[in-house]
Amino acid sequence: MIIKVKNISKSYQKTGRGVLALDDISFEINEGDFVTITGQSGSGKTTLLLSLAGLIKITGGQIHFNNFRIDNANDKYLSDFRKKYVGFVMQSFALIPYLTALENIMLPLAISKISKKEKIKKANTLIELVGLEDRIYHFPRELSAGQQQRIAIARALINEPSLILADEPTGNLDPSLSTDIMNLLKKINNEKHVTILMVTHSPVAAEYGSKKIHLHDGKIISY
Amino acid sequence: MNIRTLVWLEFKQHKSQLISGLLAITLGIAVIVGIRSVSIVSEKAVAVNLDNLGANILVLPQSSNVDNYYAADIDAPTIPEEYVDRIVSSNLSGVDNLSPKLTRRTKIGNENVVLTGILPKNEITSKPMWQQSGLLGNELKANCAPTNSENQSNGYEDEKLQRKVIDSLGADECLVGYAISQKLKLKEGGSIEILGENFRVSRVINETGTVDDDRIFIHLRKAQELLKIPDQVSAIEIMGCCNAISDGLLGKLRNILPDTKITTIGQIVSTQIQTNKMMRNISLIFLIIIIFVGGISIGNFMWANVNERRKEIGMFRMIGFSKTIIYRMFLLKAFMLGILGGIIGYIFGTLAAVWLGPKLAGFSVNPLPNLIAVSLLISIGVSILGTLIPAYLAGRIEPFSNMQEE
Repeated sequence: MIIKVKNISKSYQKTGRGVLALDDISFEINEGDFVTITGQSGSGKTTLLLSLAGLIKITGGQIHFNNFRIDNANDKYLSDFRKKYVGFVMQSFALIPYLTALENIMLPLAISKISKKEKIKKANTLIELVGLEDRIYHFPRELSAGQQQRIAIARALINEPSLILADEPTGNLDPSLSTDIMNLLKKINNEKHVTILMVTHSPVAAEYGSKKIHLHDGKIISY
Repeated sequence: MNIRTLVWLEFKQHKSQLISGLLAITLGIAVIVGIRSVSIVSEKAVAVNLDNLGANILVLPQSSNVDNYYAADIDAPTIPEEYVDRIVSSNLSGVDNLSPKLTRRTKIGNENVVLTGILPKNEITSKPMWQQSGLLGNELKANCAPTNSENQSNGYEDEKLQRKVIDSLGADECLVGYAISQKLKLKEGGSIEILGENFRVSRVINETGTVDDDRIFIHLRKAQELLKIPDQVSAIEIMGCCNAISDGLLGKLRNILPDTKITTIGQIVSTQIQTNKMMRNISLIFLIIIIFVGGISIGNFMWANVNERRKEIGMFRMIGFSKTIIYRMFLLKAFMLGILGGIIGYIFGTLAAVWLGPKLAGFSVNPLPNLIAVSLLISIGVSILGTLIPAYLAGRIEPFSNMQEE
């Protein structure tokens, strides 16, 4: 078991009214699972993902990662946790415009102590994995949306994380490119045994998951 | 790829913003370096010469400016050369040597030079009246001037004073100051064309650190002829005995020459020290201004940079950059800005001082490498100070600003 979520809740104030984004949620995820999280807008999908990454503080319950409790950890511990164990794939790709494809992939290693040679070697291996070895020195503006997302996926893998958190990774892509990206994520899940948690609106993308969580008004409807 | 590379790549990305961010700090540093370069050279000139000058008197036209002793005669109005005879014939006690001179700025090739006409000793001794009055260097040696130097010439250690008692200077000969000899690549025995006439370089004068380094000395008669100012001089330098000055020599000279300005070098140097002090104070004022304006300018630039890069910083935080690393990134950027501002400011300030120094202050200004350390220290300090708050706010940016909002 890689993640254990126990009775978590998250509430906040919005325009003077209290909002319960997550309402007493519990579930467990095993290593190598490909979990999709679906639900309507405002159902709490992204809040759940942010909570699992330690990016927002929950207001109740506990989150364990590899038997370590992360919901009450300090900023330094959480930064270290994300650096070592978590890779992120975002809908907007979030590539740095002034870095080349190779530099973007190496970005998480900027705070790592490994040698420059080793960093480049790892980035080259991943750029081959995502099939963009002929775009190494291209800047994001010179790449298509699908290529940018592939670079973002390679970046998520550079620290060899045990968990990838993906937030609508196909949200900005057309159906053909979406299939490419989903196949790539599935391949990574199968070959590298990386656990993937993916938030999606797309029913097609949701079908790639080995487990599916469906949220409604902050509660799990099905798992 | 490490943090330094990352900051450097981002740094290069915003060149136009960098220029506006750096403007205040660069200009401030440039002004400080410019003023300090000029005032340090000026202070050195005063320090080097003050001890050797002793009691000395300068007779100048009434309307001349005496803020800078070494440049007081340059482009000054003229007085009749006949005044020299008037002083000599008055038989005033304590007047040991007279040195009339005519000075004007001119150009040789592209270089600005100060052309000064002087009378050599053999010219002075040829006048029986002057001989009778004992107006020779040897007399001076016995009376007032320092005598303990092995390199002295007629009792004068100072190069500037030595040339007052030049033994002989032919009509076609010239003495060349050190700086101008370097600029025009002149050597002893060489020749130079001045105002259409050829002169032989009889001597290159050692470096003095004053405007004399930019002077070319020719015979007074020749200068009057070439400059078309016959029988006129810019100034008369008088070596007077200290005791005589105390006994009212200045007052007696003023009685003889009522339409002139007569002052001691001590008074002029004192004015110059006051000017230097004022320049130091101006530097201090600029330092305070730069700390405020430069700091605010850098802070404003950094704050805009932080706001513009909120998503990027959020992404850094998301992939594991701690708050401390985000602070370090912005402080490193401030450090780079400081280095750039300090170097550019130093270069501009030095260029301005070297270019404007001879025009405004009347003496050559050489670059002062030790000021680069001061420039860097101020610039980096101000830059880091201005960045502290934006860096702190950057560290507080939430890491999930890239995530889809629900």
